[in-house]
Amino acid sequence: MMISKKIVLFFLFLAFLLGPVWVVQADEAEGTVALPRDDRNKDLDTFFDPEDITDPFEPMNRVFFQVNDKLYFWILKPVSTAYRTVVPVDFRQCFGNFFDNVAAPVRVVNNLLQGKFAGAGIDLSRFLINSTAGVLGFGDPALISFGLEPRPEDFGQTLGVWGLGEGPYLCLPIIGPLTFRDSAGFAGDALLHPGTYVFGNPVDRAAYYSADRVNMLSLHPDLYEDMKRYSLDPYISMRQFYLDYRRNKLLDRPVRSNVMINEL
Amino acid sequence: MNYKKLLLVLALCCCWLPAVAQAVSGPTEQLKPTLDTLIAILLDPSLKGEKQKEARRTKIMGYVTQKFDFREMSQRVIGREWKDLSKEKQDRFQVLFTKLLENAYLGKIETYSGEEIQFTGERIKDNRAIVSTQIENNGQWLPVDYIMIKKAEQWMVYDINIEGMSLVRNYMEQFKSILRRDKFDGLVKLLEEKNSTFE
Repeated sequence: MMISKKIVLFFLFLAFLLGPVWVVQADEAEGTVALPRDDRNKDLDTFFDPEDITDPFEPMNRVFFQVNDKLYFWILKPVSTAYRTVVPVDFRQCFGNFFDNVAAPVRVVNNLLQGKFAGAGIDLSRFLINSTAGVLGFGDPALISFGLEPRPEDFGQTLGVWGLGEGPYLCLPIIGPLTFRDSAGFAGDALLHPGTYVFGNPVDRAAYYSADRVNMLSLHPDLYEDMKRYSLDPYISMRQFYLDYRRNKLLDRPVRSNVMINEL
Repeated sequence: MNYKKLLLVLALCCCWLPAVAQAVSGPTEQLKPTLDTLIAILLDPSLKGEKQKEARRTKIMGYVTQKFDFREMSQRVIGREWKDLSKEKQDRFQVLFTKLLENAYLGKIETYSGEEIQFTGERIKDNRAIVSTQIENNGQWLPVDYIMIKKAEQWMVYDINIEGMSLVRNYMEQFKSILRRDKFDGLVKLLEEKNSTFE
């Protein structure tokens, strides 16, 4: 009786002593799980090791940045503003869902190409549910009723997963910011996009692409102008946002689809 | 005998003290009251509206400067050249950069109207830490990470990452290009011009 009591006391004593250690260790273990791959300490060290930014075409890119800026204020913004005043936000959100749903093959195939079979399954289910129960993709019952969140992957990310380097930064007219790798990705995704096959003629394809962008901008009207307002060098600010965004996506960090970058 | 027991209990308590102290002053525990106070100021009805803007911003900035390390931010956005600047120039820059952040971001957070904020994790490495949060935004969760540094047991915020995009790093890259072209005095001039556009 005495012995067992002593043993119990001993263990209690041990637990008491080691308690704090366990707590600390448990925290650490939790921490490592949340860390993205090899990137372990990188985000804590961001400011100590400068990341590489390759921008050999900066003078040309800056010209195209100005061109896009003009296109934004002269065409994209007035059209989007007019559209926003005429069409209520619920409808615009539905149109956004529709455009997303049509692009489902891009996500499914790129998930597969990266070996993310669960992601491919989820996006395929989303496509099937939303195309039927969601009435041609205008609704998103897959998310609302089934809690299936989209797993956006594109060919630029696939090439990154396969080990292709980012390459120099580009700012192209109309298309906007890209890296070399993402421009290859852009072309690859066009091949996977149903719009490429449904619209035989390039004018229709461009119209579809523009409608998607006008709709997206109408849902998030302030982003580009805020960025310009708060920055001293909008070209660099945009470049940094774009590279951060793409690098985070490649590491599968939680990012929403970043509209500022997609729309410009 | 009683003394011995008492001593044992005291000794045991001492083992726990560091753990308790650590738990109390962790980065998340220090950030939570900071955000709560900010939210209280933002939701305070007596400070609402355009007329109260001046009073509201003074109150927010008075509080924020205790919890956000604008010196550290200034040093980081300038980078290597910081050491070569005189104390006066460093101070001047810090004032201007703080003002820019105030102009740029207070306008944004002033639209806050009680959206839910969740704390989703923290990671500590030596004297630095990331506290991850997410804020509800039009039915989606927007990830916001606070990067903190420990100075004299106080965890101070020195960067905010929204969706993984670092605020300080974005300015750092812009300033790097401006410093190369226009040197420090040119950067100060640009900052002054930018700040005057908000008035």
